[in-house]
Amino acid sequence: MPTWKEKLSITMEPQLVEEIDAFESQIALRRSGKLDEKIFAETRLRRGVYGQRYDNGHRNDGVRTQELNFSSDLTKGPDTLWDAPGMQRIKIPFGGVTPDQMDTLADLAEEYSDSVLHVTTRQDFQLHYVHIDDTPNLMRRLAAVGITTREACGNSVRNVTACPLAGVCHGEVFDVTPYARATAKFLLGHPDAQGFGRKFKIAFSGCRERACGLVNMHDMGGIAVTRTENGMEKRGFELYVGGGLGAVPHDAKLFEPFLPEEELLPTAQAVARVFARLGEKKNRAAARIKFLVAKLGIEEFRRLVLEERKTMVPDPRWTGYLPEVAEFKENPLKEPVPLNGQRPEGFEKWYSTNVYRQKQAGYAVATITLPLGDLTSSQMRQLADLARSFTGDNVRTTVEQNIVLRWVSEADLPELYRELVRMGLGEPGAGTIVDVTACPGTDTCKLGIASSRGLAAEIRTRLAAKLFTLDEAVKNLHIKISGCFNSCGQHHISDLGFYGTSRTIGNRKVPHFQVVLGGKWEDNAGAYGLAIGTVPSKSIPEVIERITGRYVRDRNGNETFQEFIKRIGKQELRGMLENLMQVPAYEKDRSFYSDWGDPREFTIGDLGMGECAGEVVSAAQFDLADAERLVFEGQLHLDSGDYAQADALAYRAMIQAALSLVKTQFQSVRNDSDTVVSEFRARFYDTNILGDRYAGNKFAQYLFRRHDSPPHEHTLDRARRIVEEAQLFIEAVYACHDSLTERGSAPISIKAVGKP
Amino acid sequence: MEVQRFGVKFFVADPPSVRLHDFIQIFHGWIQKQTVENHLLIDVHNYSHIHNGPGILLVAHEGNFSMDMADGLPGLLYCRKTPTTGTPVDHLETILKSALQACNLLEGEVRFRMDDFLLLANDRLNAPNDDECFSQLKPIVSDALERVFGHTKYTLTRHSENPKERLVVRVAGN
Repeated sequence: MPTWKEKLSITMEPQLVEEIDAFESQIALRRSGKLDEKIFAETRLRRGVYGQRYDNGHRNDGVRTQELNFSSDLTKGPDTLWDAPGMQRIKIPFGGVTPDQMDTLADLAEEYSDSVLHVTTRQDFQLHYVHIDDTPNLMRRLAAVGITTREACGNSVRNVTACPLAGVCHGEVFDVTPYARATAKFLLGHPDAQGFGRKFKIAFSGCRERACGLVNMHDMGGIAVTRTENGMEKRGFELYVGGGLGAVPHDAKLFEPFLPEEELLPTAQAVARVFARLGEKKNRAAARIKFLVAKLGIEEFRRLVLEERKTMVPDPRWTGYLPEVAEFKENPLKEPVPLNGQRPEGFEKWYSTNVYRQKQAGYAVATITLPLGDLTSSQMRQLADLARSFTGDNVRTTVEQNIVLRWVSEADLPELYRELVRMGLGEPGAGTIVDVTACPGTDTCKLGIASSRGLAAEIRTRLAAKLFTLDEAVKNLHIKISGCFNSCGQHHISDLGFYGTSRTIGNRKVPHFQVVLGGKWEDNAGAYGLAIGTVPSKSIPEVIERITGRYVRDRNGNETFQEFIKRIGKQELRGMLENLMQVPAYEKDRSFYSDWGDPREFTIGDLGMGECAGEVVSAAQFDLADAERLVFEGQLHLDSGDYAQADALAYRAMIQAALSLVKTQFQSVRNDSDTVVSEFRARFYDTNILGDRYAGNKFAQYLFRRHDSPPHEHTLDRARRIVEEAQLFIEAVYACHDSLTERGSAPISIKAVGKP
Repeated sequence: MEVQRFGVKFFVADPPSVRLHDFIQIFHGWIQKQTVENHLLIDVHNYSHIHNGPGILLVAHEGNFSMDMADGLPGLLYCRKTPTTGTPVDHLETILKSALQACNLLEGEVRFRMDDFLLLANDRLNAPNDDECFSQLKPIVSDALERVFGHTKYTLTRHSENPKERLVVRVAGN
């Protein structure tokens, strides 16, 4: 039977082939109980393989909590059953996808998921109800079209986002696309970005004023700026660090008003090193960089980063991409022709909300409004064909969970609209109050408290019918909903934001939403909203009616919604909602005791442990797990009679294990085998650290012997011995690492960084 | 032909009678009683907001059931996820029986056509949508249909010749 591995190995980048094969080996190791569940959990998260609600094997069915009796009790992480369906997140840097990639995404959704693709609030795609055993092939098929899922989750650099109008926007300073792409590529798998205690999100914006890349709410973000030097215009970034939403939102702090473009990547690397070194590791609730920046203060944080920057060995990649920036441009498929000819029914409304005229005359961006960020495989495939017909490769996802087609010749807009209507994707209202953003919430997320998608669907249905009769000031407000306080739905930066919570009435739980008013989407997420009070889920639509109605009636002239909320004040706003906060008795109205779109009586008993943060696993533990994988693969080659390969892999495994220890003292060590062995010998063998308590020096001899005397011929006996020795050596390194960790000496000291 | 991931869709006989949201409650009820044999029923997902989408989805470990709205034609869709044992004919027989079981459970709510339905090979690697695969699949389908429905005569046609789409066989009673 053919396999995707065989079929696609020649079309994938060799590095991706190796990475995905390695992940498949790690799956096999976990299946055989040879890889710890915590390490495997973080390993899969770093490949975008996420858990889903009910994967702990329990689900409340509305009457009782059922045990989900999967046939296997194997786990893929703490309290996470192997056979339970999971989610696959797929990173799309700056949201850019090609038609061929869209076809592949459509195929994968059909074959491994439920035929639905979900666009996230960070320009990723997500597939739900995926079985972990399918993920290696899913990744291979993505890799064959140039997409990686690496570091889509876990404590890593997540998808690098950028304004979907980058390159075509009237207000931008310059196109940030090539910088976003270079940053994503540079930091992907970068050794300095592996030791975080939490995730790290980066965004780029072309201007300050629009919502653009939402820099203010990111761990690190750059806004395009220029300045004149010696009569020449020079590009750079207004660089921010330490922003973030979560339960307690933090405004990003200005790190540098003008960071020259050639300093972007080294500064990002230096920030990553400082965060990895000093960021919180044990308490994940305080492990984002925003807490570190707040603790140190931006001045001290800046000083540390600049100090770090000075110690770094120059990397040609820092500036290697800059010549491509100058040449970067997108190629439209069609000639620019102004809008003309007949316009189909409904076109004008759609045009008024879903079309943005580009700075390049005769071209436009068409936004495809996706309800709740969802589209089917069939729609995706048809959309890919539309792109091929109208725009070429110029397709992007947006943080408002939509898709945009860029470089549409304006004259093609009516025909494009006809096609979109035929596909069921011709809804107007992009970026308006009906274009509600929601995280997955209780639909699939383990942390979801209330149904953000259910509420979003209800609001959308109610508002869509009257969108074009709404007051203009209300029409362009934003609604964003999160299923819990973690802010994946970005409720803090919305005019009307809501996050899920629960209240106990009598002996029963009632789904509620906290109402957050007056956040600002524009100005790169310019302000966070004000929490007003908690309202039962079923009364939220009335909250929207009441607040927006009052805004229309009582606003002063051109007063913005933010200004209006500030002027009215929390107390009065709360007073307006007071009676909506009441919950009728169960006997009187049971509907309040169920959530939107879910007839089960509401419970929070299904809440699980979040995987967003992953497990905090040290870089050394990762390296050691990789060494174990290599020796495992060596064993497989030994079994199949390929002794040379068995020997090579066992040797690589020992080098990898030695490297893991060396890096705890000397992070920037070169990874060639001579250097690793020499450093290992000096730091752990000659000092007797390895051998002190664990007879490790005996095992270190295995490494030295194999390094100094590689075999001239490969025999079964010799290969078997080296594989066994490699296993023993890895065990000794593990023991040494654990001992050092207990003594508190394994973490890299500041002095040691970059200094042999 | 080694295909494990088959699907089958039985169309609703009277499409206007379908009230999609009713299936949310129905499928939750199935989970409460774990009604479908040989399946671990897990969750219900509401996709009614998607035009011609999966409608209401009932997620099971072994395969997903949905009141599917693809092409605007409501029907009970069953897509197998986990392998079954035996020959390809055995796989298809198992899958047809699972879908029919779900159709029977919905009796009283909605009626299904047994004279016109779709069989999907949800596996582009082993069953690409081409003439060769269709030729290989036809006898497997015929044998499976005979086991499930007896000697009823059926015409088998390729639903679409678009190579990007899955190989789907339209089964029409004579």
